[in-house]
Amino acid sequence: MAPKVRKEAPAPPKAKAKTKAKALKAKKAVLKGVHSHKKKIHTSPTFQPPKTLRLRRQPKYSRKSVPRRNKLDHYAIIKFPLTTESAMKKIEDNNTLVFIVDVKANKHQIKQAVKKLYDTDVTKVNTLIRSDGETKAYVQLSPDYDALDAATKLGSSKLSPAGYKSKYKFFSQSIN
Amino acid sequence: MAKIKTQNLCSMIKEELLKQVEDLKVELSHLCIIKATGDMASKLSKIQTVRKSIAHVLTFISQTPKENLRKFYKGKKYKPLDVWPKKAMCHVPQAEQAGRKPED
Repeated sequence: MAPKVRKEAPAPPKAKAKTKAKALKAKKAVLKGVHSHKKKIHTSPTFQPPKTLRLRRQPKYSRKSVPRRNKLDHYAIIKFPLTTESAMKKIEDNNTLVFIVDVKANKHQIKQAVKKLYDTDVTKVNTLIRSDGETKAYVQLSPDYDALDAATKLGSSKLSPAGYKSKYKFFSQSIN
Repeated sequence: MAKIKTQNLCSMIKEELLKQVEDLKVELSHLCIIKATGDMASKLSKIQTVRKSIAHVLTFISQTPKENLRKFYKGKKYKPLDVWPKKAMCHVPQAEQAGRKPED
């Protein structure tokens, strides 16, 4: 009993003081706030606002119930083939088909559309915008596909150069 | 081409409907080519009917999912904007409003 008491007697005051100091420090920290680093030094003359947390959107509902269908499909891209004299020349000489095409289509889309709709392979596409707002596409087919065949296959016989010439033959005859 | 009737469309399933649209579009492209080459004038009147039938079928295709969506969102608080009730409908005078049936 006695030794135990003696041991505890000197310990408590020391421990007490220690714990008291600790408690006071904690209180101060809570009241004043803890600044772990010193005042920030700006090395550059411009002030950049600090970067904050940016959260992604998590919408409670989608704004559109159904996604819109693609309105620029292959059929919408290619409007119709041209059948002018110069277009005919292109078919014969350069193995290219000439189409009037939607303005919003780009060359990649035109290429895919022609490939799919006319079963041909396309080497390159050149486009221009006409003065009436339509886009004209010169679609060059690969050498193993014949533009002439594709043109006749497209439907109207008038589309092929031979048919075109026959059409004009009729007119020239009527003039004479 | 037979005229597109809603009765016929009702019996078709989605794939058939989409195929129908495809066929109509192919026909439309043919007609456009004919128009471009300045050929038979008799076929030109068909262009309008084909365009309208494409629109008809597409409207029909989009109707069923829309209906189902409305049912799905019926009690819910947060709905997509096109499922909200339409307020800009016909203006009903106060006197008549009492006798009107509530719109869904």
